[in-house]
Amino acid sequence: MLPAPARETGGPAWASWLGVIAVLLGVLLAAWHSNEWMKLAIVGEPPYTIETMPEADCEADELEEEGLTLAECRQLALNVHSISISSPDWFKGFHMRISAAGLLFALATVFIGVALVDYRAWAATAAVPLFGGFAILDTVAFTGVVNTGPLIREMYLWPILLWFFIHLTIAVAAYAGRQNEREAAARLPRAP
Amino acid sequence: MQKTGYSRTVLILHWLLAISIFFLFVSSWWMLGLPLASAEYRFREFPFQLHKNLGMTLVAVIIVMVYVRSKHKPRPKLSAVLSPRMAKLAVVDHVILYLMIFASCLSGYLSSSYSGWGTTLWWMVELPYWGHENEELNILYSDIHLWTCWILLAIIAVHVSGALYHAFRNDGIVRRMFHL
Repeated sequence: MLPAPARETGGPAWASWLGVIAVLLGVLLAAWHSNEWMKLAIVGEPPYTIETMPEADCEADELEEEGLTLAECRQLALNVHSISISSPDWFKGFHMRISAAGLLFALATVFIGVALVDYRAWAATAAVPLFGGFAILDTVAFTGVVNTGPLIREMYLWPILLWFFIHLTIAVAAYAGRQNEREAAARLPRAP
Repeated sequence: MQKTGYSRTVLILHWLLAISIFFLFVSSWWMLGLPLASAEYRFREFPFQLHKNLGMTLVAVIIVMVYVRSKHKPRPKLSAVLSPRMAKLAVVDHVILYLMIFASCLSGYLSSSYSGWGTTLWWMVELPYWGHENEELNILYSDIHLWTCWILLAIIAVHVSGALYHAFRNDGIVRRMFHL
């Protein structure tokens, strides 16, 4: 087993656990925001309206292969419109920008998380504005979604709120950790 | 402080792999909710091609990663810093993880081959079919793909739990994959 003194060769415990959590969340969010961007690019503006949409192609062998009922297959064609019929004109561009920014923030979170585990003092400083910035991005996204229709609100409000509190938690944890480090440094005896 | 852990190449590949795998999960759940493909409904085209391309690329990435990993083994060895039981568990977890990634990608490609839908590697190279259109084989490989993916997700949870455990103990193990 690792002897206790070996633990002293790394950074503080808070940086170790916060860094790993930040990396985990960063990886998950990078995947989620990439998918959101793709989702909006593909179904943000379907080429037809509900009134003019063609009938769904629901052949029996395809239904069996996909494990779908006929009703589900028809509903899939309708679902494509969930975003477009419930969103104002500005929503597609807005949400795609939020997703692109979210992806960049998520990648930065992975980097900062790694730097926290492999303890670098600058990472503890950078983590606060980064995680705080993520919480602000969530707030902007939340405000945007509030001003859309019920279908979009049902899809996004809760996950955004959840992420907001997660980001708020890790931002405060980073702030508290940084404060601890500063106070510990201040307590060290100064060189004569 | 002495530099320990995996090489930077392994580190970058590991995190790219992690993001790609989670992207494949989340995008596949979404794309299977798109209308079945037909002449009018072409929403599935891009996400399915992207899914297949990422999957195939992952196989190449993981081969490179395992090779580089075997060439540059991190110090200290796991067996020196973990109890024998934990060291064994870590090895088993990694072996299953790599096998499941490989099996899920391969079964996905085979399923696609027997479905009759072509695959163009990154929209540039038309890949050969491994078989003719065959509904039964398509469903068989599709089921294998599904179950290997669920096992992969479960083993990722074990893998992440291990990383969190060592991070909370601050015993230095996670620094092997978390260094600049």
